[in-house]
Amino acid sequence: MIAVAGLSHLGIVTSAALAAKGFDLIAFDERPGVADALAAGMLPISEPGLDNLLDKARYHLRYTASAADLTRAEVVFITRDVPTDASNRADSSVVDNILKAIEPHLAKSAIVVVMSQVSPGFLRPRHDALAKKGVLSFYQVETLVFGSAVERATLPERYIVGCENPSQPLPPAYRRVLEAFNCPILTMRIESAELSKIAINCYLASTVAVTNTLAALCEKNGADWAEIAPALRLDKRIGQHAYLAPGLGLAGGNIERDLIAVLDAAALHGTEAGTAEAWLRMSAWRRNWPLHVLSETLLGRQKKSSTRIAIWGLAYKLGTHSLKNAPSVEFIEHLQRTRPALSIATWDPIAPLPTELTTEQCRQHDSPLDALDGADALVIFTPHPELSTVPIGEIVSRMHGRLVIDPFRVLPLTTAQAAGLRIVSLGVPSC
Amino acid sequence: MLKLSQSDPAAPTRVVIIGAGGFIGAALSHTLARETKVVGLGSKDVDLLSNDAATRLESQLATGDAVVFISALTPDRGRGLDTVIRNLRMTESVTKALAGKAISQLVYVSSDAVYDDATSLIRETSPCNPSTFHGAMHLTREIALRQAAQAGKFPLTLIRPTAVYGPGDTHGAYGPNRFLNTAAKEGRVALFGEGEERRDHLFIDDLCALTSRCLGHRTEGVINAVSGTAVSFREVAERAQAVLARPVTIVGSPRANPITHRHFDTSALRAAFPTLPITSLDEGLKRTLAAMKA
Repeated sequence: MIAVAGLSHLGIVTSAALAAKGFDLIAFDERPGVADALAAGMLPISEPGLDNLLDKARYHLRYTASAADLTRAEVVFITRDVPTDASNRADSSVVDNILKAIEPHLAKSAIVVVMSQVSPGFLRPRHDALAKKGVLSFYQVETLVFGSAVERATLPERYIVGCENPSQPLPPAYRRVLEAFNCPILTMRIESAELSKIAINCYLASTVAVTNTLAALCEKNGADWAEIAPALRLDKRIGQHAYLAPGLGLAGGNIERDLIAVLDAAALHGTEAGTAEAWLRMSAWRRNWPLHVLSETLLGRQKKSSTRIAIWGLAYKLGTHSLKNAPSVEFIEHLQRTRPALSIATWDPIAPLPTELTTEQCRQHDSPLDALDGADALVIFTPHPELSTVPIGEIVSRMHGRLVIDPFRVLPLTTAQAAGLRIVSLGVPSC
Repeated sequence: MLKLSQSDPAAPTRVVIIGAGGFIGAALSHTLARETKVVGLGSKDVDLLSNDAATRLESQLATGDAVVFISALTPDRGRGLDTVIRNLRMTESVTKALAGKAISQLVYVSSDAVYDDATSLIRETSPCNPSTFHGAMHLTREIALRQAAQAGKFPLTLIRPTAVYGPGDTHGAYGPNRFLNTAAKEGRVALFGEGEERRDHLFIDDLCALTSRCLGHRTEGVINAVSGTAVSFREVAERAQAVLARPVTIVGSPRANPITHRHFDTSALRAAFPTLPITSLDEGLKRTLAAMKA
């Protein structure tokens, strides 16, 4: 039997993926109501394919709120997502709390695998303390991606495992679990594995920052980033899957958390980390792009106080309900603070409008077209594919104004412009 | 960054030290006196806050003198705006005295407090963004002295030391000297939080050696006076305990401020003076303790 402890996003998906492979699995979370809700099929997260995965897993998966149920577990994966504060700094105490809760109930030969997003240097002292009690512990890098979590959990590219002695084979019980997924297993020292996790996100952040830096130039000098990106993808050093789509900065919290971890570690050790600071600065600047556009176009010129803004998509990307650091939330907060008379109508198929943002003048609607009625401007924060098929004529007839801030180029540009809409997108001069 | 006008060092014929009565000034007078003629001026010789300070100071200066300006009211003498104003009035006296004097060089001992607190790896090109009156005062003085140097056409060296410790330190600031003192007298060291903050601590002799080299090479520009090694305050306390060779209670306290660290990139220092010796913290503590016992 194996166990998963800590049932937030990572734990829910990991437990389902392991159980769907046929492992008898006990999924533990002592927070009140968490295990019961999951057992009743109430999911606090939204991930494409998760329902099907849980369906496959159901005969092997049991949820519990009692750590005493873990006594027979040969391998315990600790998967609670580490929360971050407003400055994106991780609080690893949740992992310590889980360790404290399960430790008295672990079997003598049990193996503990920490998958939570802990800061560099977290595991070593815990590893040494557990080793004194005969418990082996490992750090396994998780690479959960919101919106693709099921795919990444069931078809991993590789496993990265930090261990005391990388030259020794992994314990059979742990190896059996990993080998079931038929992908390369990279073992390395604990510190290397912890930093690998962060290194991955740093490289992604660097690509995002470079893309946004150059896309911003395109908007001013007449170039079109959409024409440049394919040329870059054909360069083997950059690659087909590089993050070359301009965006509204970093969001979701995970990459931001790892950049803060790098800055904290660099500050502690006195190493240069100005590049990471620059990525965060670029992200903060780009996050405000829709506001800048709205100010330069509509709000700076319009005299009337009854301006109405429609927002399509609240989530920071497709396939997720997460609003952590979402540009849409910051956009709405800013408008509510600075333009109290302005009204906002939102639509998102997954992410609800947070209650703290919901007012008489800011409401969520059931369909994109309903949110559009009488809008002076439309802002599309999430590139839902279905939006590209909304008839342009309907958009024009429902809207009062003609401004569409479409950062990700969701609407068909030629048709939209022919219908009289003014489209403003990332990486290309507006016209 | 530092420009060396003389590749082969040659001590100036005479050095006038303004602020020779303080911790750094006294040590520097002692060091430089082994190399050249030193005129040490303390507040008893010239009170820089008096109305005739500029005239009195000017009368002490001769053509070709190298001048080291250290005198300042340090934060232990006051942290408010009134202290800033007095410090600036002292600077005004100095700049007036220097006007029209053909001195060979001015060295100003500033502070690393001119840098941004949030910068954890500091070099001479790091932005100056002081968070305290003390830092802002030093930065304003630097600007005033730059203007004086430009007008007087003499080279100006700005030395920005990190926290300096060693024999003769009377300031009692949080750090090596205070830890040694309280450990020796009370058997305890009190830390803010758990003393996690890493800071650079420079032994007084190293600052004197650096200043001597700046004078010998008639340098111009900015240099940070640092050891290049940042250690936590807890580690300083533990090393003080080891140097004392007796049990010391190291006591933490509830943390009031977030933990910040401050390291220095010593590339410019090493480029200018590759052979400048830096005293280790252990050695510096031993020598400070020996002076305390003497």
